[in-house]
Amino acid sequence: MAHDKTASLEHKVRMTQEKIDRYGKLNGDWDILHYDHDYCIKRGFRGTLAHGMHNMAPAVDLALEKYGKDFYYRGRVAVRWTGPVCPGDEQVTVLDPEDNIVAKVDNVPGSGTIMVGKSTLRDK
Amino acid sequence: MTRPAEVKVREGATPGTRFDEFEVGAKMGEVSFTITPEIIDEYIKAVEGDEKLYVVDGRNAAPPDVLCVYMTSTLYQKYPPIQGIIMCEVAFSYHHPVWRDELTDVRLSGEVTEKYVKKERKFVKWKGRYRRADGALLAECENTFSVPE
Repeated sequence: MAHDKTASLEHKVRMTQEKIDRYGKLNGDWDILHYDHDYCIKRGFRGTLAHGMHNMAPAVDLALEKYGKDFYYRGRVAVRWTGPVCPGDEQVTVLDPEDNIVAKVDNVPGSGTIMVGKSTLRDK
Repeated sequence: MTRPAEVKVREGATPGTRFDEFEVGAKMGEVSFTITPEIIDEYIKAVEGDEKLYVVDGRNAAPPDVLCVYMTSTLYQKYPPIQGIIMCEVAFSYHHPVWRDELTDVRLSGEVTEKYVKKERKFVKWKGRYRRADGALLAECENTFSVPE
């Protein structure tokens, strides 16, 4: 499972309302932001919002790909959400060689950055 | 099996907690739940996880972030949520796997560590600890969210 630690790793996933609903059903999070499109538009969003920690999942998988079992015992993931992921967006998450996480979506003007942070080992 | 919804207060089910009601230093009650192989399977499907990554020395483990779906349970037990809360930041430190082939009884507790206003938005920060029933530390989390008022 060991990975070339000098290379960036990338994860791509397309968000849908069905996926948001599936995560919400498990998570038990029924905030109106996740299913009421009209409410979200009124609050200035492009549509309903995927759960932030749903968007974080690729940052954990990329760290597992890089660090293997060590991440289970010494791993730390820390993210800040800077924008939403809405139905139709493709989220591209990159873990760079310095363990920085940057996730972007393809449907918005500008950088499209929706999440930044770090996925690393605590005592690295 | 404990589904997260069984230990979370649902948004809109109560009037919810206003920003000025959060108390820095306040301890949250311990919440107990059981993570089962079925919950882990459902989580992997929900996040479209990569099965081959969840193996430790040949034993199947849960994705570490399966703990995320229970995170707000201790917070919401003490401070029921209002609609429109937005998660801003989260950090997880992992200490031990949750195994995929057994039931794991977990205790989650925490406390509010900070609250502040920035650019007219109101933020609350808190931290939590996940322990197995035998006391072993599974993970620690820190979370900041904004309260829409």
